Amino acid sequence: MSELFHNLGIDWKLLLSQAVNFGLLIIALRAFAYKPLVALLNERRAKIEEGLTKAKEADVRLGEANLLAKTRVKEAEEEALLILKNTEYEAKTLEGTLAAKAHEKEAVMMREAEERAKAKGAEVEAAFAKETVAIVRAALVKTVELSPDAVDEALIKKAVVAVKHAP
Amino acid sequence: MPGVFPRALATEGRTETTQETGGVHISLRAEEIFHIGSFGATNSLVLSTLVFLLLAGTAFFGRKKYALIPGKIQNIAELLIEGILDVMDSVLGDRKKSEKYLPLVGTIFLFVLSSNWLGLFPGVGSLVVRGVETAPLFRAPAADLNFTLALAIVTVVAVNVLGAAAIGAGAHLGKFFNFKNPVMFFIGILEFVSEFARMVSFSFRLFGNVFAGEVLLTIVGFLVPYLVPLPFLFLEIFVGFIQALIFSMLTLVFVGIAIAEHGEEAHERQTVHG
Repeated sequence: MSELFHNLGIDWKLLLSQAVNFGLLIIALRAFAYKPLVALLNERRAKIEEGLTKAKEADVRLGEANLLAKTRVKEAEEEALLILKNTEYEAKTLEGTLAAKAHEKEAVMMREAEERAKAKGAEVEAAFAKETVAIVRAALVKTVELSPDAVDEALIKKAVVAVKHAP
Repeated sequence: MPGVFPRALATEGRTETTQETGGVHISLRAEEIFHIGSFGATNSLVLSTLVFLLLAGTAFFGRKKYALIPGKIQNIAELLIEGILDVMDSVLGDRKKSEKYLPLVGTIFLFVLSSNWLGLFPGVGSLVVRGVETAPLFRAPAADLNFTLALAIVTVVAVNVLGAAAIGAGAHLGKFFNFKNPVMFFIGILEFVSEFARMVSFSFRLFGNVFAGEVLLTIVGFLVPYLVPLPFLFLEIFVGFIQALIFSMLTLVFVGIAIAEHGEEAHERQTVHG
């Protein structure tokens, strides 16, 4: 057995030193390579996963926002259209009422003007009548003042002058 | 028990141990280069220590530059680790487990791969020192049984320790020593013996392949020094990778078996608890 080991070059001291070498390498690589690198790999994977989920979330949010914006715009457009229609309608009705009112007012004014004109006419007539009465009275008074025996011509002339100078 | 098989090898080994035929120097043993006290350091140990220093040093001095955005060296290291982890996932089926057993499996792969490839470097085998004996300064570490056997022993022990840690020492020992019925008892004994067979097969597979490669390259290089050894060099690069892969994959599979609860027992326990 020992001869076999000797022939194969197996020596427990060498065996031990090789085993120690290997054990030390395991410890060294575990401490300096595997642990930190695996931690880094996992960290990076976590970060990438996080980034991807965030991107997905952002996409969904963006889609929602776009949809919301579209519906809002549509709503606003509809609303605007409605407002416009309403305004148009209101304007038309207002126009109608305003026109009617204007007509009414016009009519009223016309009537008033007519009435006023009529009143003025009546006033003028009255004043004219008054004046005529006064003139006639004055003329009569003058005529009465003159004797009927006086020359008719002069009488008439005087009467005419009196009438002319009458206020 | 281990008498029949190795004795045949021993007689063969004796005739092959050292042959000097017209300048070709082939030694089954690693040669001693220098002494530290009574400890004779061999050329194989020198190179394996060099590999150790190279790997550990790279990791040690590279660790300060680790960052979330990797540099070149970190990129390569991450690629390697990711690759190993992916392979481990396919066997263990769980990333957490893969990360837990990465140090053992990954180190075996890296250590054996670096050793094999460094063993192919020019200068390994051709740089000769005249110290204790006239011998090459470097020798591929795996071309020395001490290296492969040490790796195999550490691996098999580690697999058993990891198995015991994962499912409990009692459950783990129960795989080997089962007194429930005679059939299970003999299966357990076979399992126990197979642990030692694993050490032997691990060590001799790696040693045989690398040593054969060394011999092949030496002889081809001796016969036709130019161009002709080139395909063989490529072959040995490939073999070096394959052997590292086989060693680490087998370790991975053994770990996977060791940390899994024994099929029947686990089933029984489940039915008892359920």
